[in-house]
Formats: sequence, structure tokens, C-alpha cells
Amino acid sequence: MTKYRVTGSVPFDGHQPGEEFEADYDDDLEDRALERGSIEVVGGRTTKKKEETSDA
Amino acid sequence: MPKRVALKDSFMVDTSDLSNFARAVAVSMTDDQVDVSGFSATGVNEYLNGPRTQTVTVTFYGAYGTGETHAVLYPLYKNRTTTVIKWRADQTSVVSVTNPELRGNAKLFSYGPGSTRGDTDTYDVTFTAIDAAGFDWFTT
Repeated sequence: MTKYRVTGSVPFDGHQPGEEFEADYDDDLEDRALERGSIEVVGGRTTKKKEETSDA
Repeated sequence: MPKRVALKDSFMVDTSDLSNFARAVAVSMTDDQVDVSGFSATGVNEYLNGPRTQTVTVTFYGAYGTGETHAVLYPLYKNRTTTVIKWRADQTSVVSVTNPELRGNAKLFSYGPGSTRGDTDTYDVTFTAIDAAGFDWFTT
């Protein structure tokens, strides 16, 4: 699970702007959402999700 | 659900809630009508259902802010991305038998915003079902 914050003015996955939530999105969906500014990772992330998965 | 005035619809694209940027939704589900008629005493045509095409066309307000209409939709078209769309009548109620949700995997095969001086900036976007599951109504 990753902790996200909804950025911008558009609700995301049932969460309101500014709200923090935990979810486990697939890599492509997360990439698109981060790219367009819909969400951000709270606390940042130093490794890619794929790397985290492969290390597990 | 009784008769309703469309006010509270929910429309989600790629997990982003674009309900407030949409003002019209039109679903089209159409089967090709294949003529399999043979000679008959009545001369009436006989048909079978052929390939099925499902689309959802949404009128969106043009909005170019972070995570808004253009930011969500254009990358889907540009990158030929498959995404999930969801539409239900009442965003204030959970999905249920009386508030079913249309869902499916879709692609954008066209994208064409525009503007007219003095007019509200809106444009239609058509989502086409792109796999065998198609669009379907869910009650949970």
C-alpha cells in the first residue's frame, strides 16, 4: 500500500482534493495520475513500485 | 429509482472524478443486424445479431487545469491507453440495484476539443468498449 494525497481540484477514486489515502494502484495507472497531477505520493518515494515488487 | 432529473450523475475516467466537468452522457449499444434471409412464403427478412459496438459519449467542459478534463483525457488518446470508465445516476448513493453503474474498459479513438467566441467551452468525447467484456451494468 502507498499513501497518496489528492492534488488539484478534481476528486480521485472517491477521495476529495487534499485528502490523504492509502491504495495499491497498478504502475501504469499510478504513473498517469502522478503525471497529470491528480495525486502525489505522501512522503515521496525513493524507489519505483516495480522495484519494490521485484525485491519482495 | 423513480423518474429523475439528471443532476447528480457520477462519471469517472481513469479513476479521476470528472462528474463536475461533464454535462451530458449518451450510451450507445448497437449490434450489427445481419441479414440471413432465405426464400420464404412471406418474404419477411430474417436477421441475426452481428458484431456489437458499445460507446459512451460525454459532453465535457473544456478545462485545462491540473488533473482536469484535458489533463485526464488527452494522454489517454495520445498514448492509446486503455482505461476504465464508470457512470452512474446518483453520485451521492452507493452502487446498487437501484443505482447501477455502467463500467468497462475503453479507449479514445478520437479527441477534438475546440472553442467558439462567447460560448461555453464544451466538446464531446466518445469512449469505445475495446474488449470482449464490453460495457455492462453493475449493481455492486
